[in-house]
Amino acid sequence: MEEHVGQLWDKLVTQISDRTYKESAVTLSEVSKPLGIFFRALGGDNALRIVESTATQHFAKRNWKHRLAGTGKYTELSWQDEDTLHLPKQINLFPEAALNKDCYYWLAAISAHSLENPSARERGLQGWFSYSQSLTQQVLERFPGLHSRYQRLVTAYLPLRQIDEQFTPEEQGQEDAIAQALNKPGSIEQLPTTQYAPKPVLLWPHPNPPEVVDLSAKKSQPDNAEEEEESSPSKPKKNEQENKRRNAERVDMPDGKDGLILHRFESVFGFSEFLNVDRSTDDDEEADQDSADKNADDMDFLSVARDNKTKGGKVKFDLDLPAESSNEVVLESDVLLPEWDYKKQILQKEYCSVINYMHDTGKVGELPERLRRTAKKLRHQLETLTTKRVWHRHQSEGSELDLDAYINYIGERYSGHKVEQPDLYQQLRSSERDLSCLLLADFSLSTDTWLSNDARIIDVIRDSLFLFSESLRNTGDQFSIYGFSSRNRGHIRFNTLKTFQEKYNGIVRSRIQAIKPGFYTRMGAAIRYAVKKLEVQDTQQRLLLILTDGKPNDLDRYEGRYGVEDTRRAIHEAKAQGLQTFCITIDDQGGEYLPHIFGNSGYTIIRKPEHLPQKLPILYANLTTNPV
Amino acid sequence: MTAEIPFYSPQGNEESLFQHAFKNQLPVLLKGPTGSGKTRFISHMAAQLNIPLHTVSCHDDLTASDIVGRYLIGDGQTVWNDGPLTRAVREGGICYLDEVVEARKDTTVVIHPLTDDRRILPIDRTGETLHAPDNFMLVVSYNPGYQSMMKGLKPSTRQRFISMSFNYLKPEQEQQVVEKETGIDALMAKKLVAMANALRQLKDHDLEEGASTRLLVYTARLIQSGFDPVEACLAGLIEPLSDEEDVVSALMEVVFASFGR
Repeated sequence: MEEHVGQLWDKLVTQISDRTYKESAVTLSEVSKPLGIFFRALGGDNALRIVESTATQHFAKRNWKHRLAGTGKYTELSWQDEDTLHLPKQINLFPEAALNKDCYYWLAAISAHSLENPSARERGLQGWFSYSQSLTQQVLERFPGLHSRYQRLVTAYLPLRQIDEQFTPEEQGQEDAIAQALNKPGSIEQLPTTQYAPKPVLLWPHPNPPEVVDLSAKKSQPDNAEEEEESSPSKPKKNEQENKRRNAERVDMPDGKDGLILHRFESVFGFSEFLNVDRSTDDDEEADQDSADKNADDMDFLSVARDNKTKGGKVKFDLDLPAESSNEVVLESDVLLPEWDYKKQILQKEYCSVINYMHDTGKVGELPERLRRTAKKLRHQLETLTTKRVWHRHQSEGSELDLDAYINYIGERYSGHKVEQPDLYQQLRSSERDLSCLLLADFSLSTDTWLSNDARIIDVIRDSLFLFSESLRNTGDQFSIYGFSSRNRGHIRFNTLKTFQEKYNGIVRSRIQAIKPGFYTRMGAAIRYAVKKLEVQDTQQRLLLILTDGKPNDLDRYEGRYGVEDTRRAIHEAKAQGLQTFCITIDDQGGEYLPHIFGNSGYTIIRKPEHLPQKLPILYANLTTNPV
Repeated sequence: MTAEIPFYSPQGNEESLFQHAFKNQLPVLLKGPTGSGKTRFISHMAAQLNIPLHTVSCHDDLTASDIVGRYLIGDGQTVWNDGPLTRAVREGGICYLDEVVEARKDTTVVIHPLTDDRRILPIDRTGETLHAPDNFMLVVSYNPGYQSMMKGLKPSTRQRFISMSFNYLKPEQEQQVVEKETGIDALMAKKLVAMANALRQLKDHDLEEGASTRLLVYTARLIQSGFDPVEACLAGLIEPLSDEEDVVSALMEVVFASFGR
């Protein structure tokens, strides 16, 4: 009974204190695509990802209703860091959806202009106050069309700030100053201070955005094969049930031996001081996962430490890596390749080392029975697709007379020139193709994920490689197939399945049969090595097809923006060599970063991975037939 | 030859480079995105140098005989008909092959002997070998931006030309061009240019190509003749750039950012 009443009361007061309009809420996921384009068009950084921002504590005075309900401590504001633009998850402040949407566009506009200099953390409250105003001024000056939208937002926003508030005279002064700054940006310099922080201003950037820590700097451990990684290799861990991001910092791991003991026992811990989310010491996994989730919700701030022990929770680890078995033949080792460091804007020479190997199973493989029918169908389909038949003119023999050639011939003869009998026929024949294609497949550990009861991603990739080869063997196009994975910069494994010179036969099939997932995805180096293989091909067109399931990612700092930028650079280098590149991915999040790497039309996302085997040859055919 | 020289606002030293190339009988390659003023530059230079201009817009069915010439059958007899290239070689002047990569491969073979110091055009049909006069100049253009999967200019061809790169103009200059071309007021021209530059930021990421100066001029003309500016931008700047609905609506937000809503 008591609990029931408590719940009702909670519902009631939360409702009273809640001043948002749920019906007219606009969520970030609805608008993020156009918002991204808008942001980039206005000068925002191309490489930034848009993510939902964390609710951050604002330390402003709360009104009585909020205090009663225990709500209103947090607010979602916008800010940006090195590789992300944080925007509120949803905006439901205004009664009209149009205004909420406008608010998003306004935030994107100021973010695109944001100089973040001086750094947001150092400028302090006054700095924030004047910075926000000058930012507003600049945006309005450059895009005068935003003026009316901004005015509408401010007009609607200011009264909302007054609802339920009982300001002391000082606080009222502060509030008036903010109102003036919003109404006439640049007209006021000092923000009067009170004992509380000012009420958060949704239309301005975050006064003190959460700190970003350079991950790579924290990782003090040298490259170490035993060091297990916390995150899954190339697929971001999906937490579907609640996608709200949490405010976090990285701290050093408390020393397990004496950490908590150091505190005096009589002191009572607020559980936000140290909550053990270090899974390695808890046994009850299932229940624990839930309680940790709950606790995380209740905490103000999460501290994350890098432990030297890792335990699988939701992420499955399989570092039972393919043994560097005896049937591996090394073709080429210690090939040194550069890598692009976008922060320093330099190409680090001889930074990565590639080893090129081949499985020698000693067996002759057969095409799996279940693929035969599809293979046959595809072969047939590709024959009609790739061998487009055209009339070849000026032939010495053919099914029909080439009228054009004949008229020319007659004309020349009448004009008094002695001409030899030219080739006067035309023949319907398939056009010649002069093309070589290198297929580069991602064999990183993330391909070990199960898609259904009986197939992992790697199985789908294997089938794709089979069907790709089967379809291409009769087209006359030259093709080669390679796979790659990596473990740090010193160990990039390049698996040769079929070279350009080899024929597609049982030995190649046995190699395809033998592929296994392992390690990570250092895509840039793999692409550079593949380019070396492809650029010596003496054909008119050279196509580099990349088959992957996720972002570039490796053990060291090769993740996030670093990896994306290096891969982008590698693709640009390939294009400069006159190669064509195309990426096929099954990562449905790929839309966020792929345009940046491959360009708007340089990639495709296969939403249903199980369709990949059938789709790949068709895609290839579409890519390589002459665009009309 | 008309006395009026088409308006052209130079980006750098291209006028003087072109004059020197002409004086020394060097062939020229113009590269740059579509609508950045390559064609206008050529007509401007032809008028300035007071020589005829023979323009050939290349397309993928254009063969060597289309530019060299062919026999046509007339009244009981056949007549040799010069193609534009042959005519230019005979009469002198600039022969301008626009978007040369589009043409069939055999055309490049024909122009090769004209680009080195022989400066000859052998016509095997008639058995003639034409020597280019001093005031003949070969100019080709191409757009490196949209490398269609299948086409590119071969290095052996590229290396036969003096090359000039065209790019979008600086905002102030582009504004002048738009004003001058359309007579639109300075404020509107400034807005349009700012918007075009915003759209150009999206190249390679969201769009395949940025908004060209030509599109800007078209849009300005629509506005100048009394069409609603926002609608003019949609028709003149946004729709030509993308077919995807959500991209178009996002780009319209950029238009609203300039024109208000």
